[in-house]
Amino acid sequence: MAHEDQAFYDQLADRGVTRRHFLKFCGSVAAMLALNEAMVPTIAAAIEQAATSKLTPAVWLDGGLCTGCTESTAQSTYPDVATIVLDILSMNYMETIMYATGASAEQALKDTVEKNKGKFIMVYEGSVMTGWDGNALRIAGKPALEQILEVAPNAAAIIAVGSCAVDGGWVKSYPNPAKAMGISEYLKSQNISTPVINLPTCPVNPEWIVTMVVDVLLLGKLESGAILKELDEFGRPKIIFGQTIHDNCPRRGHFENGEFVYQFGSAEEAKGYCLYALGCKGPQTYTNCPTVRWNNQTSWCVESGSPCIGCGDFNWVDENAPFLNRFRRVGIGGYTQTGGYNPAKVATLAGGVVAGALVVHGVGMYAAGRIGDGPPVEKMKDYDRKRTKKGGDN
Amino acid sequence: MGTPNVVIDPITRIEGHLRVECEVENGVIKDAWSSCTLFRGMELVLKGRAPSDAFYVAQRICGVCPISHGHASTMSAEAALGITIPNGARIVRNIIEAAQYLHSHILWFYTLAALDYIDPGKALKADIANTYALAEQAGTSITDFKAVQTRLKGLVDGGQLSIFSNGWFDHPAYAQTMPPELALIAVAHYLEALEMQAEASRVIAIMGGKFPHFMTSLPGGTAWVPTEEKIDDVLFRLQRVRDWVYNTMIPDTLAIAPFYAGALSYGGGHGNFLAWGVFNKESMEMKDRYLPNGAVFAGALKTEPADPAKIREYVKHSWFKAEDGDLNPAQGKTNPEFTKYDVNDKYSWAKAPRYDGKPMEAGPLSRMLVAYLSGVKPVTAIVDLALGKLGAAGKPEVLVSLLGRVAARNLETAVVADWTLEWVTELVAALKGGDVKFFESSTATAGDGAGMWEAPRGALGHWMKVEDGRIANYQVCTPSTWNIGGRDDQGVTGVMEQALIGAPCIDPTRPMEAARIVRSFDP
Repeated sequence: MAHEDQAFYDQLADRGVTRRHFLKFCGSVAAMLALNEAMVPTIAAAIEQAATSKLTPAVWLDGGLCTGCTESTAQSTYPDVATIVLDILSMNYMETIMYATGASAEQALKDTVEKNKGKFIMVYEGSVMTGWDGNALRIAGKPALEQILEVAPNAAAIIAVGSCAVDGGWVKSYPNPAKAMGISEYLKSQNISTPVINLPTCPVNPEWIVTMVVDVLLLGKLESGAILKELDEFGRPKIIFGQTIHDNCPRRGHFENGEFVYQFGSAEEAKGYCLYALGCKGPQTYTNCPTVRWNNQTSWCVESGSPCIGCGDFNWVDENAPFLNRFRRVGIGGYTQTGGYNPAKVATLAGGVVAGALVVHGVGMYAAGRIGDGPPVEKMKDYDRKRTKKGGDN
Repeated sequence: MGTPNVVIDPITRIEGHLRVECEVENGVIKDAWSSCTLFRGMELVLKGRAPSDAFYVAQRICGVCPISHGHASTMSAEAALGITIPNGARIVRNIIEAAQYLHSHILWFYTLAALDYIDPGKALKADIANTYALAEQAGTSITDFKAVQTRLKGLVDGGQLSIFSNGWFDHPAYAQTMPPELALIAVAHYLEALEMQAEASRVIAIMGGKFPHFMTSLPGGTAWVPTEEKIDDVLFRLQRVRDWVYNTMIPDTLAIAPFYAGALSYGGGHGNFLAWGVFNKESMEMKDRYLPNGAVFAGALKTEPADPAKIREYVKHSWFKAEDGDLNPAQGKTNPEFTKYDVNDKYSWAKAPRYDGKPMEAGPLSRMLVAYLSGVKPVTAIVDLALGKLGAAGKPEVLVSLLGRVAARNLETAVVADWTLEWVTELVAALKGGDVKFFESSTATAGDGAGMWEAPRGALGHWMKVEDGRIANYQVCTPSTWNIGGRDDQGVTGVMEQALIGAPCIDPTRPMEAARIVRSFDP
């Protein structure tokens, strides 16, 4: 174990972060990385070292964005955003918080790229806007695509934060008016092979960025290439996106018992029943939201009484809308299905039937090989099979 | 014929993408153009979808004020489908919205704007003992100032300036008389503010699942059912933020402002102000809100009711087809078409909205003026206090300026912070009184509706037309459209453009004063 740098802990203490807090943070990173608790000192030492030696240069590029991913990152607590951009990374270009503006900002970007070829991290937020020859987004008087082409080939790796950066997000939804796409797709079209780590959801969860910073930079997995083996076929870290929300949902027990919320704000909601009947996309959405939660682990969508809308899915709006239905409907982007916005109808569909439908769905996903290294989707329990009239797999 | 000679692009420390060009002559800005440089097409994406989907998607217009977009959207759906939300849901929404105001205003002042007024390099020269003395004198909170200075020194000595790379250190537009000790206090509170804005957004996380982009204020009410434990958690956090606003943010504002008293004399612009009003009372009427609805026109210190029917949007200088022009958003169209960037022809992705034919400023300054002129008690009290400190007692008209716009936002933070505590009490009382309904459903499948509301950065409207259970048309008019929209068909400048005209620009290679004015709108 590395020498504990007292100055580093003094620095943390100045911000009201005790050594205990810090080690707790390292523990949660270890948990998220599916590492043994024995790794905590290694992580702590790696962060200490990063904070007391030369910082890794990074640039954060804004595409067709709402700034929600930057905002989300600013909600990170351990470490807070100041620690990330001052003590771990040297974030030399980040439009939303950087001191410089205009030409001075552009110069900071240019300098970073030129002096750190192949060594800096590029974070990309927002969609790549290709509409009107890239004029759907102009930066510094020219299409923003030019900025990507100047920076991306020179980066050591790219972290695509949020669904827009991953696959175009809502901006790409039908009719995709500004011809948006994700950064991977765009780079592929330009024959740029810089590795991309995809962190979907809308916005990105800052805990995942922190995890990647620790995993990729501090544990040296980028240099060794080990990180690439830990990504799934969509470029997502398996440790974060390997299981469905449903797999780890605290309301799962109610699902098993057929106890559903049929009306928002109801007594069933107060009891924390399952939101599947109201359209919850937890069963098909691959993120670890239920365990990591949001805003310094304060809460998350389902805990607040809302069904998951699947913002971590690919093409999430077209795939999942209408969000409060169990099925999509005809008319948006050529997607086919039935039904309309009608909560009453959803309620009649739910109950036992939904449970059965879900198991079929889960098995389908399993057969398609989309379930990673996590535990397989449970088959319906006997208890439930007996209680449902039509449901189940019997 | 415009001939700009100063360009700021990208404008940093704002939400999204913006370009500003100025024509500077003898150190003064003679003309200006503001260009929104991003088009995504939310209005087109929402067409054909379920009315309830708009709440979830439309808030993704802005990651800094998703709550306001979510609320305006859900209100437009409720208006279209004839839903009146239960009183409990109204209170819950007010608290969530207010928490976002606290979050957004704190983030704006410290993280986005402060570097325009405080030279962080100066903080290195501060004497620590004097810093404590000054903090005490200013009535602002103290922290380990030595540690902050050491951290800053470490950053500078390390040679890796990170987000401070290429900043405009030592710019002559910084108040040269400001003591280094005040700069150090501000830097310390810059770091503290990061925690406080996050604390405010945790209130949203408790009541709305997460922030940014929350989940619960769907058409019909709220999906969040309050429990004793959660209300307690909300109250604790709101109290913490409220105390910090009063003990740090307001004293900081009052300590820094006098060094920029010169900014009371420029940056005001057209002087027309618009507010739809925000924070509903039990009546749920737009004309009966905590921060009231109103329009104020240049030269007259009086407010009149603001009517959304008086809006027209113009596109002669925007990248939209001519058929989109001269329409009220209720009938609005969106047909984007990029031509080329030319300040003398088309130069922006933003339409140019006008109210009764006039460019109107949106934002905290509009809300504070309307509320002040409407006699809203906590607003008149705190505005009068600030005017006294600036040596302008009894002269609210001086607020029509750069400094006034900055001050108004911070004063509003204090007013809203107090209200949040009141509303938690109101929610508890409603629960005790048996008012336990939070959601009302509807079976309507057609109708027209508008959600007129206020984002932290100003007047916001969403319009929804529903036919056969689907969205037939959707239009949005954001505060930044009011503020950064360019010239109209008559060639009259937009709000931000006019605010820039007449402002000083002592170093055209580093147009600090222009950047300040742009950021004062929190675009």
